Amino acid sequence: MSAPAVSFEAVSKWFRPKGSLVHALSKVSLDVQPSEFVSLIGPSGCGKSTMLRLAGGLLEPDRGTVAVNSQTPAEARRQKRYGFVPQHPALLPWRTVRRNVSLLSDVNRRAGRGAMSDDEQLAMLDGIGLTPFLDSLPRELSGGLQQRVSIARAFALGAPVLMMDEPFSALDEITRADMRYLLLEVWERIGSTVLFVTHSIPEAVVLSDRVAVLSGRPGRITAVVDVPLGRPRHAEVEDSDDFHRVLAEVRAALRQGWSN
Amino acid sequence: MADRAPAPHDAEQPPDAPRRPLRRALLLAAPFAGLTAFFVGWELYVRIRDLRPLTLPRPSDVIRHVAENPGFYAQNGWVTVQEAFWGFVLAFLVALVVATAMAHSQFMERATLPVIVLVQSTPVAVLVPIFLLWFGFSPWPKILTAMLFAWVPFVANALIGLRSIDEDTHELLRSVNAGRWEIYWRLRFPHSLPYLFAAGRICVGLALVGAVIGEFFNSRDGLGNAARVAQSRLLVEQLWGSVFVLAFIGVAFVLLLIAAEKRVLRWHASQSADHRGV
Repeated sequence: MSAPAVSFEAVSKWFRPKGSLVHALSKVSLDVQPSEFVSLIGPSGCGKSTMLRLAGGLLEPDRGTVAVNSQTPAEARRQKRYGFVPQHPALLPWRTVRRNVSLLSDVNRRAGRGAMSDDEQLAMLDGIGLTPFLDSLPRELSGGLQQRVSIARAFALGAPVLMMDEPFSALDEITRADMRYLLLEVWERIGSTVLFVTHSIPEAVVLSDRVAVLSGRPGRITAVVDVPLGRPRHAEVEDSDDFHRVLAEVRAALRQGWSN
Repeated sequence: MADRAPAPHDAEQPPDAPRRPLRRALLLAAPFAGLTAFFVGWELYVRIRDLRPLTLPRPSDVIRHVAENPGFYAQNGWVTVQEAFWGFVLAFLVALVVATAMAHSQFMERATLPVIVLVQSTPVAVLVPIFLLWFGFSPWPKILTAMLFAWVPFVANALIGLRSIDEDTHELLRSVNAGRWEIYWRLRFPHSLPYLFAAGRICVGLALVGAVIGEFFNSRDGLGNAARVAQSRLLVEQLWGSVFVLAFIGVAFVLLLIAAEKRVLRWHASQSADHRGV
């Protein structure tokens, strides 16, 4: 078996906001295999986003180790080995769609060997319906279109690992449902490893190969649920018995984690 | 009863965009209407009360006087414009450097804040004689006075603009190991531009005030000097002429700044029609 793309080994993390002490994560262990799509789900404040930031080298663990492609997260960050999709689109309002998509490739250019070429970027943008908006400014786009740009920006980096922190949470339900399948379509073509944080159980099941369920604070992984649904996945998958069975399994794991 | 099936969507024509030529013309004319009302009101007030020019001259007399002496006002105005302009530029540059240091280091912020408060609470006018001792009758005392008048609003606004960046975007840039300067040029500085332009509109007037105060103290030319000489010799029309030309310069500066703002901040919500109430 190849080395995991992202690995958490007995990771614990505390925060000290203004004198108090918050135990955010407790002895979390999780391996994410290359090209695997893993969702993290759990109640608010259970440390899901903290796990992303630890894997991204934006935070340091207090105990345990985190590795990205067998490197330290800081080294992976230096080499632009992962792309980040934040909760809000975080587009630069003064850059057009095209220039926002190339933002991460423009930064830290020396490390940008894996980035998509301009032609590849344009083909991807065409595939997700952004061609008519290439020269538009973010404020001229709807929330859904802005989030498409945000996702395109992460894929354009060509990084082998993508971390997504509730990227659809600010969208309405209809747009959100569309975005899931759009994300799947791009991901199935490119095949990066994805670590995806969400509060939505159906979203986690539709997208993922596995769903890691976290308990309330301090966050611990109480269950990792396999999602044995075939790929490529389309909207019809949500009508299948398997989908509903996994949904119930994740819900039960969440409930159990909450009561523990 | 006739069958009234709805027309297919592609057969439906969109309505014409609303055209409000009168509203547009009124909005364009509004500033001129305001100014005209102000000057006509002033003129009528002086005529009806039959005031002496020493108390309050007629604006028509002042404008006529300026029109009869264009060389005098152009020459002195140009001197003041240069002093105010360089004071403004220097205030902007110094403020940007100071605010950048403060935005990046809490130590620098804590160390610099008392100095800013000290400068802000010192009446700048009392420093002019000191500048005169240092630089004599060169333009520098006036430029430095203009700078000191203008720089505090620049520092305050630049600091807010450089600091209040979107945390998600900041994190995004950090995720690809963007260095401090890359984050500065790609995020912090562009983000601070709306704040700097807002400060600029205030500082234009302050820089002019600074230059004129500098000229009151030590100058052989400039509109501040023209006004001072006029006051000492009771040349009422020249005194008011200097005021009029200074006001005109201030308005011209602000209009130039607004034009630059429209170009540079095309992306900002302040430039959208919805936010201008149009």
